[in-house]
This record gives sequence, structure tokens and C-alpha cells, in this order.
Amino acid sequence: MSQFIQATLYGLLQGCMFGLVAVGFSLVWGVMHVVNLAHGAFVLLGAYLAWQLNAAFGLDPFLGMVPAGLALFAFGYLLQRGLINLVVNAPIFITLLLTFGLELLLVNGLILGFTADYRSIPTTYAGKSMVLPGDVRIPFGRLFAAMLAVSVTLGLFYVIRRTRVGLAILATGMDRGAARLMGIGARHTYALTFAIAAALAGAAGAAVGAVSTFSPADAGRFTLFSFVAAVLGGLGNTSGALFGGLLLGVVEAWGGQLLPGTWINAMAFGVLVVVLAVRPQGLAGKAFYASRVEV
Amino acid sequence: MNIRTLIVSSAALALSAGASGCRSKGDAVPPPAAATAATPEVEQKLTLGASLSLTGSLAREGGLTREGYELCAKIVNDKGGVSVGGKSLKLDIQYQDDTSKPDTAAQLVDQFNDKGVKLILGPYGSATTEAAAAVIERNGQVMADSAGADDKIFQKNYKRTFAVLSPATQYVASMVQAIADLAQPKPKTIAFISADDGFSKTATAGGVKRAQELGFKVVAEEYVPNATSDVSSALTKIKPKKPDVIIGSAHVVESIAIVRQSVELGVKPLAFAETIAPHTPDFVKTLGPASEGVLGSTQWTTKTAGSDKWFGTASDYAATFSRQFDGRTPAYQNAQATAGCLALVLAVEKAGSLEPDKVRDELAKLDEATFFGPLKFNPAGQNVAKSMSVVQIQDGRAVGVWPKDSAEAPLRWPGASPGKG
Repeated sequence: MSQFIQATLYGLLQGCMFGLVAVGFSLVWGVMHVVNLAHGAFVLLGAYLAWQLNAAFGLDPFLGMVPAGLALFAFGYLLQRGLINLVVNAPIFITLLLTFGLELLLVNGLILGFTADYRSIPTTYAGKSMVLPGDVRIPFGRLFAAMLAVSVTLGLFYVIRRTRVGLAILATGMDRGAARLMGIGARHTYALTFAIAAALAGAAGAAVGAVSTFSPADAGRFTLFSFVAAVLGGLGNTSGALFGGLLLGVVEAWGGQLLPGTWINAMAFGVLVVVLAVRPQGLAGKAFYASRVEV
Repeated sequence: MNIRTLIVSSAALALSAGASGCRSKGDAVPPPAAATAATPEVEQKLTLGASLSLTGSLAREGGLTREGYELCAKIVNDKGGVSVGGKSLKLDIQYQDDTSKPDTAAQLVDQFNDKGVKLILGPYGSATTEAAAAVIERNGQVMADSAGADDKIFQKNYKRTFAVLSPATQYVASMVQAIADLAQPKPKTIAFISADDGFSKTATAGGVKRAQELGFKVVAEEYVPNATSDVSSALTKIKPKKPDVIIGSAHVVESIAIVRQSVELGVKPLAFAETIAPHTPDFVKTLGPASEGVLGSTQWTTKTAGSDKWFGTASDYAATFSRQFDGRTPAYQNAQATAGCLALVLAVEKAGSLEPDKVRDELAKLDEATFFGPLKFNPAGQNVAKSMSVVQIQDGRAVGVWPKDSAEAPLRWPGASPGKG
């Protein structure tokens, strides 16, 4: 029994991590209708920045995620205004190609700058665990990352639903033409959305660096998890990525207990297919983006 | 990943369509490299082709392999080059990135053939090597395999692929043997965690067989997806069985995850053993104190017996490597890559020709002592003359502990249990 509880708890923690990585991806997709294939590379940029800050100044990765997030925010804003905005109205195939090219550029840049070495950001606490009855363990690093994922989701919910900037983002996502008529600057709003997403990716990267290993080759894996978590959770809802991530984490954990370990990925994607068939808008998604007007 | 694949293939299609369109309009087409092969400058070189994982999931190991090849070229050229038929030829290695994908590795080897490059240095890893070997055979090229150890590659009657390294079945078996020979008190139970790629599975099978022969009880045999950084499911299943030893047959990233997540989940065996990871610098760097006491199998240590005219002994090689690469100690992946290059150099010298058939025949007959140990191939192309070594991380460094005659230090047992962290 404690084995099952352990697997479930660890799966939930892992799921929060997926959610944290995916939340920015989901935001950009939901609002801008851009599937950002470079998202995984943004996560890695955050991880390497936090790693560098730790190596140079001994900064804890959970603190280092603030400067890493800010740097990614600026990077994301400029990238959107200077590059992605050029094709934001183009068919999705073009934005896919552009972000894919961007991913290649960033990943190979990281290999050049940091080599392909596996790295992690050392902390004194991330590997230690809280011991519950039945020798069930909750590792502190993952617990902090999970708490961060929940706070980020709540914070994003607040920003989107309760602030002028957030409402502008939401309105632009729903109907760009109408938003413009109401005086919302679409270009700035898009750039801001992309910047927030990049900042969240950067913060997620720092958390990944603290609890796990990373190398430039992981970019594709992060993008894939984000994709699955975003689709599972549903687009257009700020909590979608977290729910999607949690489902993914728990399915992987239970799948790993009940089936041979190599079936874990098959299980995860099997659930994706089932959710899409039964509830195409995702677990928490609302269908309002489907009816949006492109002007 | 499907979306990416779709995009890449669409982009490739679009590009190739564009490129062929240009040519059909009669634009100047650069001459193929083979056409320039007759010029005197090219004639003075011994050109080897290397398709390597410079990006993708095996970029780290591919990078180590490239360093080994580069060192080989540098030393050979510094010492005057390879003497072929009275002339000294400079070694020129052409690198291409196979992005850690077998089909790309095979295409690149084919492209080398189109350019007239017949002598090939192997890619990193069994999957890419297996794909390349089939093309090598078809094209009449010759490959010195420096990092493809899976026995499956050598069960297909190929005549043109020669592996300088010990076969995959030895990776885990050698560690089981070392534990049986050296560990006191002798542990009783072993759990195996294996990645699900061909090489790791073959290595695990060899280890399980040896463990049963030596009287160990195998309490678990868990498989995890290749290149995953989350092995928690396997560890959660293993934990209640309380194995004395956990042996991981996997690449660097899974191996790090096994030790790291064991600490997180409170899995505390007497020792961990991992096939290839402990010998890479990243293992100690990323795990820190948790890496203490972990055993690893290695193709080579600085105490490996044998020497050759190019690199001297194993410790000479280590010194040369260290001078070349900022004082670093060579990983065995570096050494085996250099050994692969050395095998081709020796065979070309003996053949006195760059003719692939002659080089192949000399490789098949090769029986040389080198810094990497003996280079001698069985009819399948495997180097069964050399044995593997087992290292243990002691005070942050991988030191040889088995076999006893080339050990640098005695085994510390139980290995400092990472569970204490």
C-alpha cells in the first residue's frame, strides 16, 4: 500500500513539474494561437542562467529563478516584437517552422556555449526528503517546485482575470479585432503574453535544474511534455496546464507500477488520445477560443 | 515529437524541392568532392569519415568520442603522419553530425561513400553503429567501431566492421564478477534497472546470466525508457525488495537519475553499480557526494596493460590527453575513440595502401598491443582479446578496482550508501 501511495505522491509532484514547465506554452497557444516549439529551449535557457548564477555567486536556484525569469521576460518580449510578430497572422504551419528553427538555433547555441555536458544545480536540500509513515518520502526539491507550480497557476489566474493587462490579454485572445476596437494594442499585448510565458519557462527551468539533470538535448522533451500537458488540460484556461501535468504525472506513476516500465510513454499518450476523444476541449478548457474571430 | 518530425520532413522536402529546382535551371553545380580527389593536395592525406552524435540525446558521449578522434589525428600528424607506400600521409578526419539518430548516421556514411571516403570511424552508440554497419557492408567501406558494443551488430555476418571495444555482454557481467570476487561480506541479492535500448538490454542479459551463475539472487529486473530522467517507477517497485546491490545498465542521464532518485525515495542498497556513467566527468559533478562508492564498468583505465608507438602506455595516453584538453583526465569513451582511429591507422600502415579491401584484410589479421590493451578481432569483428575493468568512485574520482592485477586501489565495501545523504 505504501508503495502505491509513494508512487501516487511522486507522480503528483512530477505532474506539478510538468505543469510548471507547460504553463507558458499553454498561455501562448491559447492567446496567440502559436504552438511555440522553442518553449523547451526557453526552459533550458532558464536552467542554464540559474546554473550560471549558482556557479558564479552561489545563488540558490529557487532564488536564481527570479533573475532568470526576468531575463527571459525581456528576451521573450523582444523576440515576439521583432520576430514572431512578423508571422503571427500567418498559417500555423509558418509559426511552427519559425519556432522550430528558433529551437534549433537556441539548442545549438547552448551546446556551443555550455557544451552538451549533463548538469544540475547543487543544493543542500533538494535531494533530502520528508519521511511520512510507511517510509513514504516527499523530496523537498520537488515539493518546492510543486508549490511553485500551484502559486504560478494561481498568480496567473489572478493576473489574467483581475488586472487590466490580464483582461487585455484575455480579450485579445478571444477576439483580436474587437479588442483593437476597444483600444487594446494587440502587438504590445502579444509581446507581453509571450514575455510572461518565457519568464515562466525560465523559472521552470531553474526548478528543473535544482531537482533533476539537464542538457541541451532535453529541449524537445520539455516541449513535448508541455504540448501533452497543455492539450490534456485544455487551452484557454490558466489552470489547464497544471491539471494536464498532474494527470500526466499520475498516469505515468500508476502506469509504471501496473505495467512494464517501458510502457510509461505509451500510457501517457494513450490517455491523451482518450481525453481528446471524450473531451476534446481538455480537462479544464473552455471552448470559447474555438469560436474566436480572426481579423 | 510527431509534430517535429512532420515539420522536419516537410522542411526537408521543401528544401530539396527548392534545391533541385535551382539545378534544373542550369545554375553552376559545385563538383562532387570525389572529383577533386585526384588533385595532389588531397592525395597527401589519409581521409577518414566520422558520423558522430554532436547534437541530440547522445551529444555528450558523441563529444567525448570526437575528442578521442581529434587527439588521434593530432598525435599521428605531429609524429609525421601515416606511412603508406613510402609516403607520409597526414590524417584528416571529416566530421558530420548524425543528431544521435541511426537513420541519419546511415545516410552520412552513404554520403561519405559518395565523396570517395571509404574508411570510416564509428559513431557513438550501438543503435547508430548498427545502422551504419549495414551501409558500410553494402558500399564496401570499412569501419573501425569505437563505441557500438551491442553483440547484435556482430551476429549479421558483416565482414567490414571491427569493434575495438569489449562486447556489450561484458559491461554488467564484469561488475557482477568484481562484486563476487572482491566484496566482503558478499552481498546476496541484486536488482537490475535497464534502459530499453538494444545495447543496455544485451548488457543486462549478460549480467543477469553471470549473477545467476555466481549464486546471486536476482530480485528485480526493471526496464525504463531510454534517455529518461525519471526512473522513480522502477525504484518504487524495487524498494520493498531491499536489494543488496542495484545495477543500472543505462546511459549517463538514466544512471544519474537512478542514484539521485534513490536518495529522494530512500532506496538504500549496499552499493550502486552503473555501466558507463561513473567514468564520465558529469557523473561526479552532477551527483556530488551521492556518487561516492558507485561502481562502473569501463573499457579502459590508466593502468590498462600494453603500449604502442603512437601513444605509449595507458598512462602516457592519459598525460597526452591531459595536455591537450586543459588538464582533464580522459574518460574511457575518449580512449576507445582514439583506439578505433589507431586500429585504422595500424591497418593502413600494414596494408601500405588506402584500398578498402586491403585495409579490411589487415584489420582482420591485426594483433597488436596498444595503450588500449590488445587489438585483435574474432571473425565476427569483435575484440575479445581485451577484458573490461571495473572502477569505483572514491573521493570524487573513478579509480580502477578490478581486475586485481591492474587495480589502482582496493574496493571500498559497502560503497558509501547515497541513502545516507
